[in-house]
Amino acid sequence: MLSRSAERLYWLARYMERTENTAKLVSVHMNLLMDLPKDVGMGWQQLISINGQSSAFNDQTKLANERNVTRFLLADTSHSGSLISSLNAARENIRTTRELLPDEAWQQVNEMYLFAKNNLDSLTNRSHRVHFLNEILKGCQGFNGLLSSYMSHHHPYRFIRLGKNIERADMTSRILDLASLLLSETRSANLRQYETLLWMNILSSLNALLMYRQHVRSRIDGDDVLNFLLLDKKLPRSIGCCLIEIYDCINELPNNDSLPSKTAELQAYVEAIDTHQTTQLQLRMILDELQNQLNELHQQIVSNWFLKITPQ
Amino acid sequence: MKSIWENYKTDAAYDELMYSEFQPRPVSQRLCQYLNTLKKTDFDQRKMAAELAIMEMGITFTVYSDEGNIDRAWPFDIIPRIIDVKEWQKIEQGLKQRLTALNCFISDVYANQEFIKAGKIPSETINSSKNFRPECVGMKPKHEVWANICGSDLVRDKDGVMYVLEDNLRVPSGVSYMLENRVITKRVFPELLQDINILPIDDYPTQLQDMLSSLAPHPVGKPQIVVLTPGIYNSAYFEHAYLAQQMGAQLVEGSDLVVKEDDCVYMKTIEGLEKIDVIYRRIDDDFLDPEVFRADSSLGVRGLMRAWKAGNVALANAPGAGVADDKVVYAYVPEMIRYFLNEEPILPNVPTYLCSIPEDMEYVLDNLAKLVVKPANESGGYGMLVGPHATAKEVAEFKKIIKANPRNYIGQPTLAISTAPTLCKGKLEPRHIDLRPFILQGEHTFVTAGGLTRVALKKGSLVVNSSQGGGSKDTWIINMEEN
Repeated sequence: MLSRSAERLYWLARYMERTENTAKLVSVHMNLLMDLPKDVGMGWQQLISINGQSSAFNDQTKLANERNVTRFLLADTSHSGSLISSLNAARENIRTTRELLPDEAWQQVNEMYLFAKNNLDSLTNRSHRVHFLNEILKGCQGFNGLLSSYMSHHHPYRFIRLGKNIERADMTSRILDLASLLLSETRSANLRQYETLLWMNILSSLNALLMYRQHVRSRIDGDDVLNFLLLDKKLPRSIGCCLIEIYDCINELPNNDSLPSKTAELQAYVEAIDTHQTTQLQLRMILDELQNQLNELHQQIVSNWFLKITPQ
Repeated sequence: MKSIWENYKTDAAYDELMYSEFQPRPVSQRLCQYLNTLKKTDFDQRKMAAELAIMEMGITFTVYSDEGNIDRAWPFDIIPRIIDVKEWQKIEQGLKQRLTALNCFISDVYANQEFIKAGKIPSETINSSKNFRPECVGMKPKHEVWANICGSDLVRDKDGVMYVLEDNLRVPSGVSYMLENRVITKRVFPELLQDINILPIDDYPTQLQDMLSSLAPHPVGKPQIVVLTPGIYNSAYFEHAYLAQQMGAQLVEGSDLVVKEDDCVYMKTIEGLEKIDVIYRRIDDDFLDPEVFRADSSLGVRGLMRAWKAGNVALANAPGAGVADDKVVYAYVPEMIRYFLNEEPILPNVPTYLCSIPEDMEYVLDNLAKLVVKPANESGGYGMLVGPHATAKEVAEFKKIIKANPRNYIGQPTLAISTAPTLCKGKLEPRHIDLRPFILQGEHTFVTAGGLTRVALKKGSLVVNSSQGGGSKDTWIINMEEN
């Protein structure tokens, strides 16, 4: 398999996952804000801080209201982190790797892109936005589904899985980072009152609410939720589960050098976290470190497989 | 209700499907019967279905413009163009004959030049050809075939005769659109395709793969074949990706390949370097290898010509094959057929006046308003003059251009090229068309059943190139006897 193709498939998967995550975040957040009273101190600003996009947003717009934030996150073509930019990047990557993928995969991404592009102007309207986000989410699920049922599980598929799970682990860690604010000792009494609702929201944004109820079987509690999303080994979007997937892919790829042991180290690091014993500040540091390590893993994947230029 | 055929005027040109407004030719009887059962609104619906399919399938071509490169949806007309298989068989023979002679000619040009020595073509014509590559002299590609993939453009004049207008021997494109057009037609007229006996075309990728495999320099189990593309910004990128996918070959860019000291070509994979046997290159000679041709090329692969000359890799088409893809050399193809094959040409050339010959140039200059004048080495319909459609000023300017560089221009009579019914704003109107069949030659020779029919969508226009407002149609070769 060409190094260049491997790189493009890896990025295709990351951008598709990012598209889905962005759509899901906006969609869940919109639902949450419909439930919460205005004085809780929860607004649209939080969505921007999740992706570390505050400075890009502040450069452009001043007011973090629904209209500006959703436009920034969904429709802003000049913002590289927006949904439309991710989808466009995914389309460019799949356009250049079509020979490796089933026809339907290209058509799916192409259709989604055309749909998104044609509907960017209608997103200020809430009900249009709900419909839009549903269509995008369906499209992403369709994409994942057809790859897993049509593609042989060879190297191309492994690079797709690898990209998807690195992106996923990164997003989960960012959402947990935001969630850790809810554990702050200084949080307002008002916020404490709605805590359960907020934790449910965190779970929903990672499609984990139903699974939490089935497997944790306790009332929704902050420590338990964090524990579940960090360590559970069966929940597709938990950090623990993503790392298992990453390890499997890396292990089956040729020339993986020190990558398996590096991934195993990262798994051990995560497994050692005890959410019941950490303060909010410690947790934030742990999550920061986790993101750094994921990034290092990414860098090593790049140098191991994508940049491999053998001297002439 | 008004008929979709209302005022269908076949004018002076030969119409491929109709004798007149009311009378279909035998080949199109079934089609016309079927079309007459449709309502006007059905046509609009089918047309929209086709457009939607094209958008979703992402069938595009790239247009270079001042605002950057734009991917345009492939303009497609839903009414097919039909040819009787009996006529087609003769055309097929003619195309095989032609490509065989052309390959004999190219082999000869790079070997003993007997054709020149016999006085059949001036050596001046070869030496001054932009696409003659002295670097290739002495090479013997496998099967002595230089042009493995050829796209010849055919047009039918008002007398009903099919003429060869040109042979594209460098990197001819369009075959993916031919294949996709059939896919779309199957979606748009599923009822119709079941009833009519149309020759299938979808074995082209397999034939291409077989042909490319037959070029492998050394016997190996399964040769490693790659499609070399200039990249995403090339107007035919869609086709490069499509063909690679259909053949299960790797699509590579120049930067993915490397030639090592052993003069073999390798591609950079996640497992290290992997040796390549056959390259279907879609990059022009000029950009193929900065070591030999243009030094500023970043599209090609340094050392590729070394590897090819050492016999370690096959290139299709072979470098230098373009010497026969020259509108001046074109004029000598009938003579090549007589000389190398000792046969009479099955398909005629369009009469051609070479401005390099003084009497011919005089004729061209005197009759510019009646002629089509083309540069010898351009493609895409650029840089040509269509006399009857040009202003006096344009004609005057073109005279100067020809006089400045006679070798580079040829003149041909303006043919009344044939028309076919085309859906225009809810009505059928005649539009001019041509046909580009694709011929493969390696160990064996293969011709596509039909080819890509291109249509000039603008009323009265004779320019069918997609870059200049042309579209395309599905092409049916039908067998009426078995119906």
